[in-house]
Amino acid sequence: MIGNQLALIRREIWEHRSIYVTPAAIAVIVTLGTLAMLLFAGGFAKELDVAIFGAQNLAGDTERKVVLTGFFIGTSWLFLFALAILTVFYSLDSLYAERKDKSILFWRSLPITDAETVLSKLLTALIVIPLVAVIAIIATHMVNLVITSIWVSAKGGDAGHLIWGSVPLLDNWASALLVTLASAIWMSPFIGWFLFVSAFTKRSPLLMAFMPLVVIPLIELIFVRSTVFFEAVFTRRGMMPLFKGMDMQEFFDEDRLRFNAEAVSLLSYLDVGQFLRSPSMWAGVLVCGLLTTAAIYVRRYRDES
Amino acid sequence: MTSLVSAKGVSKRFGDVRAVDNVSFEVEKGKIMGLIGPNGAGKTTLLKALLGLTDCDGDLSVLGLNPFKQRKQLMRNICFIADVAVLPRWITVSKLVDFMEWTHPNFSRERAEALLAETSVRSDAKVSQLSKGMITQLHLSIIMAIDAKLLVLDEPTLGLDIIFRKEFYSNLLNDYFDGERTIIITTHQVEEIENLLTDIMFINDGKILLDASMESLGERYVELLAAGEKADHARGLGPIADNQMFGKSVLLYEGVARDRLEEFGELRTPAVADLFVAKVKGARK
Repeated sequence: MIGNQLALIRREIWEHRSIYVTPAAIAVIVTLGTLAMLLFAGGFAKELDVAIFGAQNLAGDTERKVVLTGFFIGTSWLFLFALAILTVFYSLDSLYAERKDKSILFWRSLPITDAETVLSKLLTALIVIPLVAVIAIIATHMVNLVITSIWVSAKGGDAGHLIWGSVPLLDNWASALLVTLASAIWMSPFIGWFLFVSAFTKRSPLLMAFMPLVVIPLIELIFVRSTVFFEAVFTRRGMMPLFKGMDMQEFFDEDRLRFNAEAVSLLSYLDVGQFLRSPSMWAGVLVCGLLTTAAIYVRRYRDES
Repeated sequence: MTSLVSAKGVSKRFGDVRAVDNVSFEVEKGKIMGLIGPNGAGKTTLLKALLGLTDCDGDLSVLGLNPFKQRKQLMRNICFIADVAVLPRWITVSKLVDFMEWTHPNFSRERAEALLAETSVRSDAKVSQLSKGMITQLHLSIIMAIDAKLLVLDEPTLGLDIIFRKEFYSNLLNDYFDGERTIIITTHQVEEIENLLTDIMFINDGKILLDASMESLGERYVELLAAGEKADHARGLGPIADNQMFGKSVLLYEGVARDRLEEFGELRTPAVADLFVAKVKGARK
């Protein structure tokens, strides 16, 4: 069972190279961006100059920490955004492509159950893609910190203190891991829905997946004059419950960030317990489970001929 | 003899259409059975039911298992080629061998590699880069590396040229078939396989028209070449097919003793293809 799962997940990564190509491409773009800014964009380099070196003379480490933390959060969100798009396309393709190219008959000629196959696709969307993204985030941070360190050292600065001493790396990376995995779990009902659509649709899975999500709320709004469906599916009564007493506006408040040196511990903003206790999260997981089961049944009972 | 496949009253409907209609038969161990039928006869549906790819009504047991409910267990001991194009196009040959090794308990990597070494398929090639014939060679190498009890081939040589087709069947007989294994094969090109079959089954409109061993065909069916008046007399014995060829009549009889026919002309055992056409036409009347 576990051996088959590992083999199946490896197969998913072979087939869907975008799982690692996309994060790698973003990592390269971010790194090239950093390089270009340091080498060619005079204004940016000057600002960074002030942030990093100026801090030695000005009000302590705060500003430097804000700049570096901003870089951490900014790149991480970039990966999360790409991850979301990647997951949509991956899950919509996962059970559709094998029917389209008729390889489903080959896969089903092997001693592997439909449940194992669909589960491997769910696990890929839910865990593998987020983990690859987190690895890419960490690698991007490392490479960019090294580049910035070289730049600082070339200017005669103490990179060990100015760069590596300013950011709680493990704290940030643990946060990135938690936020990424939690986002995938929070969005799992969508993944389940996409898998289900991917298993049953005869054509254009993208259209089939999104049309009901747009049309049903519109119909409800026009005829019933309510927004129950929209709220249940999209807003789910607020933000992902991982964020503590969360108010995004407050989080990004410039003054607060600028003058609160403690702001750099991203982990302190997360509340795993609150996430695990959230009925809304569990309801989503349940919906994901039901839709995935439906996808298994469609793959098993549908006759492709 | 042990029955590998046992079907009793098996049916499969699609809406109002009965693709397989109350079919009963047995396939014994060590046989090579040809399943012959025109397009839409229900061959593929029947094979899918045998392979657990579709559910059906009636009692169906393959290797003592219920194919639809126990597909995973069944697939450890069955292998099949459903059509030449089903290997995923994105996979490379070496990855395919890896995947088979990881997931199939009866797959032998050594055997697959030995078989592939005899072909022109390179291990780093992607399936999408291979020609149709090479894909079939690859698929067959993979399948033959599985130590399976039953091999099911559904139109395995569709779209291949004659050289590949000949090679395919000679590989199958020489490298795979050992008298312990059992093969079920469907094809349109009956004449290519008729001398390797031990048993034959005709299917049309979801029903079995004939289920016999190849040996018994010569006893049950006889073809008479006769001309002129003799042919007219011979027609009185009720041939199931009546064709003209080079000015002679070719008459096909079922269950008529050879010594009763000898006086009218030359006798011979009918080709499976001719027998098949006669049976299907007869069923339509």
